[in-house]
Amino acid sequence: MANSSSSRPDFSGQTALAGIASSTSANPDGGTIGLVFGEMAHLGKLNLRGQNGLAKAVKAITGCTFPPKANRFQSAGERHVIWLAPDEYLLLCEAGKEQELQDSLNSMITSSHFAITDVSDSLCALSLRGPSVRAVLAKGCGLDLHPDQFTAGQSAQSLLALSAVTLMAVADDAFILICRTSFAPYVQRWLADAALEYGYQYKA
Amino acid sequence: MLIITCPFCGPRDEVEFACGGEAHIARPLADNKISDADFADYLFMRDNPKGLFLERWRHSAGCRRWFNVARDTVSNEIVEIYPMGSLPAKTAAKTTYKTSWRRDTAAEKAATPSRSKAGGSK
Repeated sequence: MANSSSSRPDFSGQTALAGIASSTSANPDGGTIGLVFGEMAHLGKLNLRGQNGLAKAVKAITGCTFPPKANRFQSAGERHVIWLAPDEYLLLCEAGKEQELQDSLNSMITSSHFAITDVSDSLCALSLRGPSVRAVLAKGCGLDLHPDQFTAGQSAQSLLALSAVTLMAVADDAFILICRTSFAPYVQRWLADAALEYGYQYKA
Repeated sequence: MLIITCPFCGPRDEVEFACGGEAHIARPLADNKISDADFADYLFMRDNPKGLFLERWRHSAGCRRWFNVARDTVSNEIVEIYPMGSLPAKTAAKTTYKTSWRRDTAAEKAATPSRSKAGGSK
């Protein structure tokens, strides 16, 4: 009775930040907005385990050079392959394409020693851009985020305000931040608070 | 705070790492019968030296991989970082490994296959 299907909440199609107001902004001092950010809703994410046996298939299917060097990512259009560890990579793709990609990778890889896991709903990706993006991130992260040190094309797994994140520098003033779905509302609120002095705009 | 050089990710803050305690503790094999007291050396006894100590660390907020660290517990100086499954190469760390009380325990000796049972080869 308690678990009858009609009373079960329907989470299908829900995004990690669905519970948060879809559009907020603050710019107390006026002037240029320091940070514009939003969720990359339903972005496809595949975790790849394996080594050189993956190279041919990943190159052919995503167009990204593989493997990326340590602490770096390779991109081709909207697809990115991020280095996570010596035998572990994260593949980002257009929303809804993850199943198709997973199937074609599985069928094309001849090596018997690999694993591809769909982690799209386990992780939440946020896109961050604006002149103050590095200043905001530096408030909660121990990495050297100076544009000379953390250049476009570099990525790192680290802690942002005590939550585990993967940072990708897409350009000097643009980042992709990936965190656990369960941490997403916290990270979103932390970013909004940290960016308050520079002015921010959040749009889901 | 320590800066620890992860062998895969490079230098990072200590907060990104988790210490896994003493390194090079070999599990006695089930084939080799040893007493409970000797097994306790493997299971419970951990070194707590003042000076150089060989430890396992994990880059838990980064690549999540394990590695070994030879660290001085007095000065916090990191003498050597080397991969899992291998022994230290620097003289000081080598000496620490060789002179550890653990090398003489029955538990460690029981961690290698006994010669009489080694699959027919001599």
